[in-house]
Amino acid sequence: MSNSTTFAPGTVLVLVGTKRGLFLLSSRDRARWEVNATGLSGSRIFYATLDQRSGHRMFAADNGDFFGSFLRYSDDFGQTWYEPEQGIQFPEGGDLKLVNIWVVEPGRASEPGTLYAGVDPATLWVSNDNGVHWSLNESLANHPTRDRWGPGAGGLCLHTIVVDPTNAQRMWVGISSVGCMRTDDGGQSWVFLNKNVRASFQPDIYPEFGQCLHRMLQHPTQPDVLYQQNHCGIYKSVNAGDDWIDIQHNLPSEFGFPIAIDAHNPDTVFVIVENSARNNVSEQFNVYRTQDGGEQWQPLTEGLPAGPGVRLGVLRHGMCTDTLDPCGVYVGTNTGQVFASADRGDSWHLIADFLPSVYSVKAVMVE
Amino acid sequence: MDLPATAPCALVILPHVLREKVGNRASVRVYGHNVREIIAALDHEYPGLGFNLCYETGELRPYVNIFVDREDSRYHQGLDTPVRDGATIHILQSVAGG
Repeated sequence: MSNSTTFAPGTVLVLVGTKRGLFLLSSRDRARWEVNATGLSGSRIFYATLDQRSGHRMFAADNGDFFGSFLRYSDDFGQTWYEPEQGIQFPEGGDLKLVNIWVVEPGRASEPGTLYAGVDPATLWVSNDNGVHWSLNESLANHPTRDRWGPGAGGLCLHTIVVDPTNAQRMWVGISSVGCMRTDDGGQSWVFLNKNVRASFQPDIYPEFGQCLHRMLQHPTQPDVLYQQNHCGIYKSVNAGDDWIDIQHNLPSEFGFPIAIDAHNPDTVFVIVENSARNNVSEQFNVYRTQDGGEQWQPLTEGLPAGPGVRLGVLRHGMCTDTLDPCGVYVGTNTGQVFASADRGDSWHLIADFLPSVYSVKAVMVE
Repeated sequence: MDLPATAPCALVILPHVLREKVGNRASVRVYGHNVREIIAALDHEYPGLGFNLCYETGELRPYVNIFVDREDSRYHQGLDTPVRDGATIHILQSVAGG
């Protein structure tokens, strides 16, 4: 393990958020990997990302066990960290208190300096100055149905933010046990988009809201196409979420957390489904891949562990792809392993072990 | 922050992880009649420190313990626990987590 403070352009960097700190896995060839510690060594890091629209500013959702949650940032690849001047913090004396920060995403290329963050209690926060000052999106926080939103097992968390790069007024968010919501007016109003998505744990299994969306992403070249992994199935939308199509097909379970897409072959999508114990369905730990937009799924096994003692779980932010071609796929487990494929999932290698429980992986190429 | 000149002065000893916020000092002196006012005074002198100790809704974070003269304020009057002049206040994180 090393403590690098800089990485050369072309380096593939995987930011690994864990129960006890943030780690950076680095490689020049996606064959040999180095594990790097950062200055965040003891906190629960739910998510981290690197914003390279102007420089190299790294963000981490630091959910301390004792003294609060902070969306910290670093300009030296994670060695030195700063708190925002105006961080994610609800007004004093009000009804809402920050429980955890779940995700942070850079905004569009056309809006450098803008970032978005999702937290528990489910609200959206925006910064327009590279993460120094954050403000609450009031319309989502004051949605008229909010008093009927209930938490999932992980909390009432806004864990997914999809910013439409082709439409500055449109974005989607995913909220556990609430579902998918979209704004078409730059965040001034929000609508539910859960049609045809099951909520099998409710008396009405197709409610307007209350579905447990686990993770969602957008097709990189067809902006109206979305995929989601839900508590109750895997779905695709071809109309920006207005309705959803069940694409579970031959997958052995409807339940799973992460989902990822091959940016160069966007009909190729990866999921990891689980059994009721929230680990691999059979004794073989699988990643599943479709290459036809969800019509058929194949299990990917080469290099992934199998055996009676294999019990691996992957959380909603625990899988990602990089932007190289062929795409790399990265999986972090709740038992502290990170597996990587450099050939679109055909084969896998263990690139890190003995880490704390992995919450998130995010792959970037250093520019 | 406006407090009467007669407000008690307490020595507040901070946990290591928060000392950076007070210029890397182990302890500071602030004025307040009770724990709530002491926290407000800390936040006034060292902006942001209040958020480390309490939620926005006002209650003390669950794994933050405040001892007034070695007595756990949670077993007295919580944030309304009175503070005498010359008191020593320890802010400690719980032995918790995993």
